[in-house]
Amino acid sequence: MTKPSSDSLGNAASPDSERREGFLRSLRHRVQEVSGRRVFLVALLTLGVFFPLIDGNEGDIDAAANALAFATLALGLNIVVGFAGLLDLGYAAFFAIGAYAYGIFSSYQVQPEWSAFWEPFQQLGLVQHLQQGAGPGNVHFTVSFWLMLPISALITAFFGVLFGAPTLRLKGDYLAIVTLGFGEIVPIVARNVPYLTNGAQGLNGVTSPSLFGYSFGVKSTPFFYVGLALAGLLIIISLRLKNSRIGRAWLAIREDEIAAEAMGVNRVKLKLLAFAVGAAFAGATGTFYVAKLQTATPEMFTFPVSVMLLVMIVLGGMGSVAGVVLGALILQLLQSWFLQDMTQWIHALGSFTGIDFLQQIDLVQSIELIFGIILVVMMRFRRQGLIPERTAVTALTHAQQSAMPTRGGVKSTTVPLHHRSIDPTTPLLEIKGLSKSFGGIHAVRNIDLTVMPGSIVGIIGPNGSGKTTFFNLVTGLTPPSLGRVMLAGEDVTGLLPHVIVERGIARTFQNLRLFANMTVLENVLIGTHTRTSTGALGAVLRTPAVKREEEAAQARALDGLRIFGNRLVPRVEHLARTLSYANRRRLEIARALVSEPVLLLLDEPTAGMNPAETLELTDQIKHLRDRGVTVLLIEHKLAVVNQIADKVIVLDHGEKIAEGTPKEIHSNRDVLRAYLGRTTDAVATTAAAS
Amino acid sequence: MEFWDVLLQQVINGVSLGAMYALLALGFTMVYGIIELINFAHFNIFMVGSFIALWTMQSMGFAGQSHILHGLPLIGVLALVLALTMATTGTLGALIERYTLRPLRGVSGPAPMITTIGLSYVLFNVILLTTGADSKNYSNPMPNVRWDIGGAVLRLREVLLWGLSIALMIALHYFVRRTKMGKAMQATAQDQEAARMVGVDVDQVVVITFFIGSALAGAAGLIFGLYYNYTSFIIGYTAGLRAFTAAVLGGIGNIPGAMLGGVLIGLIESLGGQYLEVRWTDVIIFSILVLVLVFRPTGLLGSPAPTKS
Repeated sequence: MTKPSSDSLGNAASPDSERREGFLRSLRHRVQEVSGRRVFLVALLTLGVFFPLIDGNEGDIDAAANALAFATLALGLNIVVGFAGLLDLGYAAFFAIGAYAYGIFSSYQVQPEWSAFWEPFQQLGLVQHLQQGAGPGNVHFTVSFWLMLPISALITAFFGVLFGAPTLRLKGDYLAIVTLGFGEIVPIVARNVPYLTNGAQGLNGVTSPSLFGYSFGVKSTPFFYVGLALAGLLIIISLRLKNSRIGRAWLAIREDEIAAEAMGVNRVKLKLLAFAVGAAFAGATGTFYVAKLQTATPEMFTFPVSVMLLVMIVLGGMGSVAGVVLGALILQLLQSWFLQDMTQWIHALGSFTGIDFLQQIDLVQSIELIFGIILVVMMRFRRQGLIPERTAVTALTHAQQSAMPTRGGVKSTTVPLHHRSIDPTTPLLEIKGLSKSFGGIHAVRNIDLTVMPGSIVGIIGPNGSGKTTFFNLVTGLTPPSLGRVMLAGEDVTGLLPHVIVERGIARTFQNLRLFANMTVLENVLIGTHTRTSTGALGAVLRTPAVKREEEAAQARALDGLRIFGNRLVPRVEHLARTLSYANRRRLEIARALVSEPVLLLLDEPTAGMNPAETLELTDQIKHLRDRGVTVLLIEHKLAVVNQIADKVIVLDHGEKIAEGTPKEIHSNRDVLRAYLGRTTDAVATTAAAS
Repeated sequence: MEFWDVLLQQVINGVSLGAMYALLALGFTMVYGIIELINFAHFNIFMVGSFIALWTMQSMGFAGQSHILHGLPLIGVLALVLALTMATTGTLGALIERYTLRPLRGVSGPAPMITTIGLSYVLFNVILLTTGADSKNYSNPMPNVRWDIGGAVLRLREVLLWGLSIALMIALHYFVRRTKMGKAMQATAQDQEAARMVGVDVDQVVVITFFIGSALAGAAGLIFGLYYNYTSFIIGYTAGLRAFTAAVLGGIGNIPGAMLGGVLIGLIESLGGQYLEVRWTDVIIFSILVLVLVFRPTGLLGSPAPTKS
């Protein structure tokens, strides 16, 4: 206690000032972390605005416009791969769909016969009536570029969901292969349906956009500005999504899908959302790119394009918005500017030194070789990319490290842990005949259990007796074979894990399932997921209501951390994987508590803790009931159970063999037999006698 | 030709293709079985193998189809070329594992797979930049012996290729089932930690798995050249994806499954090309890949893997 007045240590300060201080400090950290990158991105965009004025070369501006298109594609892929962790190797397919959508609706490729059906569309200016000679004539699609940008985004978002849905159950590498398959199928289909796409020759005569009567034609500068605006918009959308409830849930899925689900994240919905948003980015970019080139061929969208985009985000930094933009710009400008110059320099060097070999090198041809080398080298030496998603957090000061731990404790704040009224006379949890068998093994067999509100119930039993499986059944991670689980009179049997969290059952894991690469604060914020409602649109618009909700969630998360005094609060910005073992256990409990559970399931909460830490946590668990939380805990340390449990049930081989107060359990013969073996009747007699 | 003759001819072609895909699929399946990694470098190790075999034959004086051998000299030359090719690609695979993938062992997430994509690109472009983009006429010392079976034709090269593939598969099967190293591989595939604890040198097992898989890919590369009489820098991608589909169809991680899947994909390719439109063959094969992965990820012969949580 070198500095007893230090607020951030929470030693001597009052709880309220500590809370405010900690909260503000965390926000400052956040702003600092983001601001460096924001400066970079704003500088880049500003430079972009003046670029065509500085460099009047049409070719350079054209190259820069292409670079912007690939930056927006990389931003989209980053949503899927970087944020949600879904490795997509067929992302170019969505680029193709967006490109062909505009190409078809603004060219002479498809010309259905004219009929009265088309007249309203003609009124809206979406189609023209081509009349040549006799007959009804044909339809010519003339949908405006500006209208097609959002429409293409919507169409490709739909395909994102369509292609994403079958992959939901697949894990990492398989997901990559399936997306690669879709990525192959789309260009083949484009090649094989010439009615829509003109096949391998490609679409021709795609209409150039015009704005207020000014046609872009083939001039580069207007396209450059449209590309810049698109990139700016997508950067803002990416950043806002990332720092929102949605972005956090994506990161959680990327880190640990099962834990995310058990903390209330709807995995299916959020994965599909990532596919849809990522695809929408590609769709809008495809429309832009085709409008610029005024043609589209199947070869523009094959596997190498998907790989190039992957190289961009690997080089820049997966999940890092600024990094991805940088990676895309570097690679694009490298291709269109530097490699040509460098090739000439090497040739000059070759003729100067008389080395023939140097004169034959053509770096422009070697671009894919360079891509390959970048992938291998980055994975080997700098997996986080040039601009990492997360910067290192400064370690705690010596004073903070050596500060006297304060216990905090459940009672140190008055904020209620949940807002529900619980009828104290009906059982909170009522389990009837719950069973689960895996093949021929009955992991859990016919368990009945009643937990009254406000009680603490301990579950003990030898290893392999079905305790954790029992928790998995109650929380929906494993569907039960038979039996019912009722929460406060409502049937919750077989509901999905995230729904069960919403109903009010939260849990921790025996082997700890934290989101290792997220900060302590973010881990706890995931716990608030079910109690908040910001959607993707809200996160992008960042309305006052959304901001308020986010601030409230942060305050609530800090309250959750403060249950453990100054153990976690000074570490809010640290990555969860850097915490000590005991602090990880505490963090998991805090994460579960902020989901406002009425029932908390703790799976060996004190495992790996020393006696002093165990006592501290036991005390904290004991007081949870004062804040309206009922506790069901699995514990091996009988001292803990004896001290806090109102009731203990004993499992052995998946069956309940005893139930009663800790004292009753101690003298139960079956329990002793389960623990000490079958030849222990003598021991039991001794125990009874003593 | 009669319907049955056409069918028989396409079955002969399909089985030949399938034998090649099966050899290639074995490399995917073995590596996946051991370290759960989809090795994209495998695509182009196959392609490199086909070039190494070509260069070996060229340096021995075989250019194009001018030198024809018969009997023992033919078998001797083919065996020598095969051995050199397999040794080279095997070494290449082992080096790739040792220096780019082993350092990433234990890294979670997509890093190892991204590395193999990068390596595949490197191999692809090294060959492209050193040999040029045109496809190369293959050296082939095999005589054009052929037998007519009804309206269908069976050529000596097909019989030799089948024989070669079957011999390699039997050798692999014997190696995995009977030798100490093979048993160490099986143990590592089931549980790496447990294998390590009972004294298996897991690093050695992994590097040998890469060696064997890559050597088989080299053999497949030679077969490709002898079968089609050409090779090109571009052959790895299509053949690799088909072989991967074969591995998935048979049940990834399952060696007999890879052989079965290879033959099935070969038949689908040849029969699909005959009775459906060629331009849709790839869509059919990729659809099989997607459908199998989504609805039956264990493939035809695979048993559900124990889930590691």
